[in-house]
Amino acid sequence: MGFLLLALTALAGFVILRAPADVVQGVLYKILFVHAPAAFAAYLGFLLTALGGALYLWRNDEKWDRLDVASAEVGLVFCTLNIVTGPIWAKAAWGKPWVWDPRLVVTALLWVTYLAYGLLRSFSEPGARAARFAAVYGIAGVLLIPLNYFAIDLFGGRAQHPENLQRGSLGVGIAGPFLAGTLAMLVAFLYLLMLRLEIQGLRVRRDRVDHENAPEDPA
Amino acid sequence: MNVLRAVLWKDLLSEWRSRDRLPAMLVFALLTVVVLRFSQPGASLAGNPPGAPGLLWVAYVFAAVLGMNRAFALELENEALAGLALVPVDRGWIFLGKAAANLLLLALAQVTTGLFFEILFDVDLLSVAAPFLGVALLGAVGLTAAGTLFAGISVRTRYREVMLPLLLFPLLVPLLVGAVQATAGLLGEGRAGPAALQLLAVYDGVFLIASFLLFEYVLDE
Repeated sequence: MGFLLLALTALAGFVILRAPADVVQGVLYKILFVHAPAAFAAYLGFLLTALGGALYLWRNDEKWDRLDVASAEVGLVFCTLNIVTGPIWAKAAWGKPWVWDPRLVVTALLWVTYLAYGLLRSFSEPGARAARFAAVYGIAGVLLIPLNYFAIDLFGGRAQHPENLQRGSLGVGIAGPFLAGTLAMLVAFLYLLMLRLEIQGLRVRRDRVDHENAPEDPA
Repeated sequence: MNVLRAVLWKDLLSEWRSRDRLPAMLVFALLTVVVLRFSQPGASLAGNPPGAPGLLWVAYVFAAVLGMNRAFALELENEALAGLALVPVDRGWIFLGKAAANLLLLALAQVTTGLFFEILFDVDLLSVAAPFLGVALLGAVGLTAAGTLFAGISVRTRYREVMLPLLLFPLLVPLLVGAVQATAGLLGEGRAGPAALQLLAVYDGVFLIASFLLFEYVLDE
């Protein structure tokens, strides 16, 4: 998996370097090949969070809770990457790192939501109850995504962001690098997710061992 | 349905006897309105100032959070929450009873705060009183549907009073967008836009159903 990721990253880096420069922006636009795929990876992470939560509530199996924790955290990492690369580009292209745009605010909102998710995890007593609470919140959080898309229509404001997922909006010679960037990013997501799952598994085992070796409660 | 009525009655009765939530919500909402008035200094705000709907909803949300924080705090004493969880019915109905009690308290606070806001900010809510009450109610349903669910969670975490707004505020944004747009429409053109009302209704429906189903796992002793 690690080697695959390395190879894909190299490939993506190569084709992105070879991609034609934009007439207006020059090479500046190429941050798109990181920015948009990071958003896809973040969405995937938050969808997996809700899925893991739902499966945990349904099956009551601890392994789904591990997916719940891991995907929320890794999703937050990619959401951060997305939210950091955006203003870097915007500062140069728009002259300002942040302007009013529904999608910017929605992304910031998602970011805050999953920060709160992390806080909820750390503020509740570890165990089945924390897992249940987090699962409930993860499911409620994912409801936010379609509702937010609906909210965007209220402002009618698509001016700052291009239409999403419309192949036609990608210019000549850009689709290939975009695809390579997305692929590399998704593999990176899966790789980090696997590592995080492994860590969580080890943590659960450590807690179990600690629990077994704990001295008898005198009370 | 009987469970809903019983829980609602119990909450209202205990509120009537102790009177600890509604007065706190009212005073806090009025205080918020006064403080917010300072954010818009200047001699005249006449003719429905543009920021007013947002500020009004900020006061509503603060009052709601204050009230809902206490919704389950009382149940923790004497293990009453465990008692509720033991009732052999679908826990969704317990949720609806709790949410209905919160809704009623919030509605009372909303009306009082709205009148106060009308005077301090010089907005004309009274001339659109009936549709505004509808918008306020739609907003309050969504607020209590999401808030009651998260109050059930936050009350059993550390720093419980801190946790509820942290969990609730990000997920409230779509609702507030709709509520503020609808209120602004009422104040400006005398009617709320259909998109804003639709958003409010969809949010209410989604969170009523989701909370009804998910409360099962929140109230799980």
